[in-house]
Amino acid sequence: MNARRVSIAVVLLGLVVADGRAAPPAKVALQGGRIIPVEGEEIAQGTLLIENGKITAVGAQVEIPYDAMVVDVSGKVLLPGMISPHTWRGLDRANENLPVAPYLDVYDAIDPSSLAFEDALRDGVLAVHVIQGDSCVIGGLSRLVHPIGRTPDEMTIRPAIALKLSTSPRSGFDRMSQMAAMREAFFDLGVYLEDLAETRYEAELKKQEKQIDVPPEEARKRGRELIRDEDLDDKHANLLRLIEKRLDAWIYCGAATDVAPAIGTARENGFLERSVFVLGVDAYRAVDELKQAGRPVVLPPELVHQERDPITGELRETFVPKVIHDAGLLFALQPDPDASLAERYLTYQAARCVRRGIPREAALQAITLNPAKMLGVADRLGSLQVGKAGYVVVLSGDPLDFNTWVEQAYIDGILAYDRAKDVRLQELLGLEEKAKKAADAKTAKAEEAKKVEEEKKEGEKKEDEAKEDEGKEDEKEKDEGKEDEKKQEKQPELPQDQPSPPDGEEP
Amino acid sequence: MKDTRRVLRWFPLLAVFAIWPGSRPAVADQPQHLAFRVGKVVTMDPQNRVLNNAVVLVRNGKIEKVGPAEGTSIPKRYELIDRPDHWLVPGLVEAHNHSAGSGRDLHDYVYLTNPGLRTLEALVPESNDIKRARAGGVTTVHMIPGSGNNLSGFGTLTKLAGDNVEQMLIQSPGSLKISQAGNPERYWYGVGRTFMYYNLRQTLQKALAYHRQWERYEKDPSAEKPQFDLFWHDFRGVFQRKVIALIHTQWYQVVMSSVDMLAKKLKMRIVLGHSTFEAYQTAPLVLEQGDIYASNGPRQIHFDRRQRKIMGNAARWWQGGVRKLGVNTDAGVIPQEELPYQAAMACHFGWKPYEALRGVTRVPAETLMLENRLGSIEVGKDADLGLWTGDPIDPRSACELTVIDGRIVYDAGQQREF
Repeated sequence: MNARRVSIAVVLLGLVVADGRAAPPAKVALQGGRIIPVEGEEIAQGTLLIENGKITAVGAQVEIPYDAMVVDVSGKVLLPGMISPHTWRGLDRANENLPVAPYLDVYDAIDPSSLAFEDALRDGVLAVHVIQGDSCVIGGLSRLVHPIGRTPDEMTIRPAIALKLSTSPRSGFDRMSQMAAMREAFFDLGVYLEDLAETRYEAELKKQEKQIDVPPEEARKRGRELIRDEDLDDKHANLLRLIEKRLDAWIYCGAATDVAPAIGTARENGFLERSVFVLGVDAYRAVDELKQAGRPVVLPPELVHQERDPITGELRETFVPKVIHDAGLLFALQPDPDASLAERYLTYQAARCVRRGIPREAALQAITLNPAKMLGVADRLGSLQVGKAGYVVVLSGDPLDFNTWVEQAYIDGILAYDRAKDVRLQELLGLEEKAKKAADAKTAKAEEAKKVEEEKKEGEKKEDEAKEDEGKEDEKEKDEGKEDEKKQEKQPELPQDQPSPPDGEEP
Repeated sequence: MKDTRRVLRWFPLLAVFAIWPGSRPAVADQPQHLAFRVGKVVTMDPQNRVLNNAVVLVRNGKIEKVGPAEGTSIPKRYELIDRPDHWLVPGLVEAHNHSAGSGRDLHDYVYLTNPGLRTLEALVPESNDIKRARAGGVTTVHMIPGSGNNLSGFGTLTKLAGDNVEQMLIQSPGSLKISQAGNPERYWYGVGRTFMYYNLRQTLQKALAYHRQWERYEKDPSAEKPQFDLFWHDFRGVFQRKVIALIHTQWYQVVMSSVDMLAKKLKMRIVLGHSTFEAYQTAPLVLEQGDIYASNGPRQIHFDRRQRKIMGNAARWWQGGVRKLGVNTDAGVIPQEELPYQAAMACHFGWKPYEALRGVTRVPAETLMLENRLGSIEVGKDADLGLWTGDPIDPRSACELTVIDGRIVYDAGQQREF
């Protein structure tokens, strides 16, 4: 039941997102909640208005259109949809067995039925950057998706965000062969483009019925501008887009020693300004190089780096985000879905940052606005501002409080998740059973009370018969008794009508 | 599954036209005209007529007449087969077979995609597998290459009677076989879906480009004549939608992509060749395309770990609104003669018996685009028939007589196979 319900919800929402056939409520007003816009001041109690998928008003005083669907979120907290900046989950495997494969696209392997997306939705992660894993030299194209929809097309927020690169050796290889393959790929691209330029120049001349009139070197120079996208083969098309800065590069640096080659590769081939560095756990030690490059970084899920002095045995711990934050770099936090620990929640990662002295605003930005900026979608996602898309999470409390649950999630203004209907979550937590037991107990109690009352009533009748002649005071008492009866008779209906108040709210 | 047969993976592709010794059908000199007088005729015609106490006349390999026993006279020179307790049903049609051939020629692991290969080369007339299939009332099969590559060649539509390939053959190439995930993942050091789908799409787009060239030339003969290329030519039928593409596809993501890439974007007429596991959840996507057939099997059940529930695949597809639905054996994964048993299994897990019988007769005939010739007992169609002691879906029923093109090719009265 549970998975079916969720998948039906996914299917329905997918329909809506895909082509707007079944129009969602055009206007939704989330009224009375505490709003954390991430950009701008918090609003203690305010309203967020979404019209046709876009945020049109945020504030303490918002005029709600008469035709908006009003949702009371008083006591709740509104946060922009969180963004998972870097994951291969949702694919069948992290990498192909191919060192250089820039012609691949995660589009082909995204599985909309994957639990990874269902869990993302449940955790308030409303945008997922699906990208190939770290075991490659040059991997395929990545894609930003939201976790609802029946097909990758329906899920897509933005296709072709970046190519995955790695300067850390892929599994089974070493750093020398890794960088040799990297150099070769870009050298090969250069040779290919020169040949293609010459061919193109000749073809243009042929069209004008002219003979080639310049030495090859000049022909290559002139032909370079004549290369059209359709002239390129698959192997080189995306690499050309990369060096022409029409694509981003997300470069994995598993260790500090991999940072300089990554920056070097990006600089030499002209795409440093479109690079994002994905750091392994000790790569923070190259913070000076990273600071100099001034590009955004994605932090490893494990935020604490431990090393033991081999002689003294002394343990030294470094909190990675603090180092990066102090260097003034734009950074995003990653969740670790494999961890049984709390690292799987972005909110927990942000809370740890606060504990270690990073300002709350910066910590919240690291799970919302910063990844949006890195992905080039900050105009649509990452904060609750007028003009952005309606990706909103309704939380039961403060986002960094461990007791907080995602109550609802809106994607493009459509209700995509509702915890009250999340049967799977209830089952996982045993809440359904708990609620049923509580309801049964209530019913039993009420029935018992009713029985007692009936017995009492019969008793009273007998007494009445015995004391028929007595005065008005007794009658008063009797009336009061009747009122009690009414109250108690009503009680048993309650559990039938509202069988299971979502009991997660109980402490 | 079928890859258990890939032991001799480098065995050269041989054209095997050997005739099994002593396997000449004992039917060569039969009378051409047969008359069946039976208790029940399940016609599987568009009106879904079921006739009790009826007569079916067969003449020159075709069905000549279908009518009530009373009032239909049986002409002279017709051999009367009078079985008032028996059922006459259309010959069973298998949409997914690997066992009509030599077995060892199931695959050639040349590349990840292999245009140019045809199962026709591996067909073995009158093999023991074929004889046993006939004993199970199966008269036509779709023999396809295995699923070890993303594109493993072209399949063959064949009747299960005939001393040589020519006599048996209905159509070759009868289909294009594509495998999207699962078995092909074992190719080389292992490949994933990003590469497999990319590679498959590339191959098909090259084939499509070749087809478009020829199309342009045919419309405008003054244009440059494209060079004939054996490697790509068989694909033309696929893009003209005259030849089906049978897809080895299962699980949600894979079936979703079959529907999206092959049916929706490349406009191929596809058959979902396994459609098992939780693939039935793609029903809305399948229905949007309109003409996709699902041939379910060999697995008939799926244990859904999320819901901790056993799902009958066929029943779930049916529940999802998919009506172009049949079952298959994937023979020899499940022996070809057990086709009706697959239908029985589907019913055991929630499907409907009459629909299941349709799912091994008329529906697979439509699936293979042979509904004008096969799949039902109607005047003018091929006389491919099974005479059963009862409902073929009932495992207690036995096939007594199998007729292909008007000739008796199996008679339990002479020697019962099972």
